Amino acid sequence: MAVVTHSHDLIPSEITPPEVARPRLLVLAVSLVSAAMAMGFVGLLSVYIAQRADVISTGERWLPDGVDIPLTQPNFMGVTLAFSVITIWWALYAVRKNDNGNAYLAFALSLLFGFAFIAQTAYLFTIMEIEIAADPRGVLFYAIIGTHIVMMIAAMMYAAMTALRTLGGDYNSRQFEGVLSMAIFWTVTVALYGVMWYVIYIMK
Amino acid sequence: MAAVSGAPGATPTTIDGWLGVSDHKPVGRLFIGGGVLFLVTSLVLALVASYESVDGLGFQIARDPDEFTQIWSLSRELMIFGGLVPILLGIGIYLVPLQIGASSLAFARGAAGAFWTWLLGAGLLIVDYLLNGGPGGGRGDFVVLWAASLAMMVGAIIWGLVILASTVLGARTIGMTTERVPFTSWSYFVFSLVGLFSLPITLAELLLAALNIRYQHLPIEQSEVLVGVLDGVTRAPAIYWLTIPVLGMAVDMIGVHTGVPVRLHRTVMALLTVFGLLTFGPHLVGMASIRTIDYNNAVLVLGLLAVVLPVLGTLALAGDSLRSGSISVNPALAGALLSGLLLLAATLVQLLGLVEPIMGFFDSLFPDSVDMTNSLVLNGTTFHEAVTALVVGAVVVGVIAALQHWSSKLFGRSSAASPALFAIALAAAGSVIWAVGELAAGIADQPQYPELVDTSEGSLQVFGVVATIGVALLLGAVAVIALGLVGSVVSRKPAGSSGDTWSGTTLEWAAPSPPPLGNFPAPPVVVSATPLAHGELAYDGLRSESGGSGSGDAESEDAESAPAEPGDNTRDEEG
Repeated sequence: MAVVTHSHDLIPSEITPPEVARPRLLVLAVSLVSAAMAMGFVGLLSVYIAQRADVISTGERWLPDGVDIPLTQPNFMGVTLAFSVITIWWALYAVRKNDNGNAYLAFALSLLFGFAFIAQTAYLFTIMEIEIAADPRGVLFYAIIGTHIVMMIAAMMYAAMTALRTLGGDYNSRQFEGVLSMAIFWTVTVALYGVMWYVIYIMK
Repeated sequence: MAAVSGAPGATPTTIDGWLGVSDHKPVGRLFIGGGVLFLVTSLVLALVASYESVDGLGFQIARDPDEFTQIWSLSRELMIFGGLVPILLGIGIYLVPLQIGASSLAFARGAAGAFWTWLLGAGLLIVDYLLNGGPGGGRGDFVVLWAASLAMMVGAIIWGLVILASTVLGARTIGMTTERVPFTSWSYFVFSLVGLFSLPITLAELLLAALNIRYQHLPIEQSEVLVGVLDGVTRAPAIYWLTIPVLGMAVDMIGVHTGVPVRLHRTVMALLTVFGLLTFGPHLVGMASIRTIDYNNAVLVLGLLAVVLPVLGTLALAGDSLRSGSISVNPALAGALLSGLLLLAATLVQLLGLVEPIMGFFDSLFPDSVDMTNSLVLNGTTFHEAVTALVVGAVVVGVIAALQHWSSKLFGRSSAASPALFAIALAAAGSVIWAVGELAAGIADQPQYPELVDTSEGSLQVFGVVATIGVALLLGAVAVIALGLVGSVVSRKPAGSSGDTWSGTTLEWAAPSPPPLGNFPAPPVVVSATPLAHGELAYDGLRSESGGSGSGDAESEDAESAPAEPGDNTRDEEG
């Protein structure tokens, strides 16, 4: 950095010039990444919808023979994720209030809901009985659901890292950009589940 | 103004330094250098593919049709994701922080990570083809690896675009409101947004392609159909996405070289934005299958018609500067104009593809009045390659002009004008000749995809020869750039050691050449879109002897603070 000479007596004669404040760069970047991620996911769903329409237009059934997608598990998965959105924003609220006790509790609950969601998805896989190798439709199911699980795992890792940084004192009422960006990423991931829930589990 | 001082440029000297380089300028140079290398490679492959499609008696270089498909496919992938996009990204990473008065790129180490990931992906892509992978490949595992390596390249580019967009959104200097962002930076912002909203769809298609090959739903014998995976990027109007920053740079360059900044700043920004929007979305529909207009593809047809207007509008406003300013022939101005005209030609040629669907539409309305047997049927033919050739030409010419225009910022020395002019002429002529050959072959019904090519007809061979000559000329132009870049890098000067050749009015011309680490001695303060035009530039927290007046609270500043005299590091006063 350039060295700047100041004339004021009380200020050291040589200081480095201040950086321009760059508010919310991380929030901006994470929002853009979330948008890109959403576009990729919507692209997958578009292929699913187009192929489903093609099959149905021939008078055939979309789901392969012997495959049934129950609605109970997807609904509970949705409820679980809805709770996780509440807890993740609760974490942000607590960090902004310097209420670390509540923040840790909120982070822990969010991660717990995330694990519960993945466990329920794994269980759903076992009862759906869609073979990825037996039918091209299996590729679509597992590509879409698998991509969402990867997003969820990324969101959980981000949340865990944010929780650790909060524990380390990096985030507080004045510096909470990291928590906000994590909450945005988590919320977008959950919102995408909502779209997937309708397209895959409701429309089937 | 007094020469601004700053820390010396920080070009890394160790391997770990290069891996985690935190200054945007070395990262930008890496992207440009790597991109040019792969662009040369892609054009050599395109030359081979074009030559093979001329020959009607059997393959000369490729051993079979599958290998021909692989060469064609690799050339196309390397041209877009190995060459043109990384070069544009590199110029943006280097230039955008300077233009918006930022001391660095947002997430500069992230940009370095994007470069190394992209380079690894590009290397894997080539290795994968050598091991009989990719579209037309015969080994399933390597076709899956093809999808993974291409996804790695595209993912790295998306991350680079996120960083660029975040920089424009969040790292602008004091006083630089959105409407004061220079054209180049604004066009990069639009380019980034369109790219990061459309490229993830390509990632999704690559994922499905890999899974279908892995689980044998797509037999490996039919892997050549995977060449269509990139249609969402390489067909019009999506292919115009590559020219968004070229158009923005052209407007900036024309303003500098005529001495009259392009007027109606916000109108030009709006036109660039509209152009960007029109390059997005409709491509999802796919052009090749359109035989008549219906409600499914009406948006695409309207988009293809409308995309001509913002290009025409932008060029018209830039033309006003040409009319009222002083013109001296130099590579940057010639390149800026030619790149705009090539882009306009591409959008106009693409309109020929609408003849069939429009006639089909009228045929459905008035079946007795329209004779479809006389319709020009181009969709699905090499006509698409003609549009691509013009777009590639526009980007290559624009890049040569940009490298010439900003050479003092990039390398600390002015590039020689004669080789640059020669390269621009070669690239423009090459792309036009290539396009003419492909268009003529398309009119003669030669299909676009290599596995369908049949060049047994004599007339098609002539068109193929014409296209091959065009590709060879374009390759020659890029080779000239590559040699010039090597010379520039070898004789690159240290930060702040050079003068500028031009008198620009945007912030990058206020920084030393080449800019040091941190770019500016203090955050610049701007009050207009052309802060160097009227001596309006100041630096926040700097006294006059350091280069500008304090400005964050200008009223309370020391009375000794003199108005800024920006950009006096050897620039003359005409700007």
